[in-house]
Amino acid sequence: MSAQLSLGQVLPGFTAQLSRADLVRYAGASGDFNPIHWSESAAAALGLPTVIAHGMLTMGLALRVVTEVTGDPGAVTGYYVRFTKPVPVPEEGAQVHFSGVVTEISEGIAKVSIQAMLADQAVLGAAVAEVRVD
Amino acid sequence: MPISEAHVGRSYPATPPYEVTGPKIAEFAAALGDADNPAYQGTDAIAPPTFAVVLAGAAWSSLFGDPELGLSLARTVHVDQRFDWTRPLRRGDEVTAQLRIEKVRVRGGAAFITIAVDLTTTAGEPVAVASSTLLHQEVAQ
Repeated sequence: MSAQLSLGQVLPGFTAQLSRADLVRYAGASGDFNPIHWSESAAAALGLPTVIAHGMLTMGLALRVVTEVTGDPGAVTGYYVRFTKPVPVPEEGAQVHFSGVVTEISEGIAKVSIQAMLADQAVLGAAVAEVRVD
Repeated sequence: MPISEAHVGRSYPATPPYEVTGPKIAEFAAALGDADNPAYQGTDAIAPPTFAVVLAGAAWSSLFGDPELGLSLARTVHVDQRFDWTRPLRRGDEVTAQLRIEKVRVRGGAAFITIAVDLTTTAGEPVAVASSTLLHQEVAQ
């Protein structure tokens, strides 16, 4: 099964509402129990304003920009992100907006450039997913 | 001796086999807000692509547990992450993860460390490679 994507196609994406419970859930699911994701004092010791989301949670959420359009997560063959800014998650939660655009299609692989924005700040850099297409 | 260019090429024993189960796939998909995706359900479920981090993360402990390198997770920042998949991880796969040090660049008290973790089924089929750049800060002298 392969995905339908066209060059220049804009993938509208979605806004993720992240709560503290989401970070705890991801900690359990991923096995990453680094306390900077759930302990105020551990976060403060590193100079962070509050606990931050797992970079891998942001990376995993961002890929849904692609899979919600293509419908087939198994068609993703490569994925890169740089973690440029932390995503602080205060008690009241945080909103991250994800979107994408198809920047290249070559030899059966589409490259989708993904944006992850916390207000007006990009939290992922150079994020690109590679997806098998027809 | 702290980590240095001399450690490039070092690799660690593969982790014990990890079985990718249906409930674990469902748990991970739910943590990504994607529990309703049919790809992650049923007897022929695949795992969300970034599920590979569950396996790669287990291999990281061999790096941080290597007394020669003197690395501390608390002083480490995850700079970037890449995955290359040969095929998706599937329910029922038994997978091992083996970490190797690809590149080390030391600048003052900081080291940029590039690692690659090979995920391979117990039948010997390569499934994915998870590559990471880590920035490790030495304790200030």
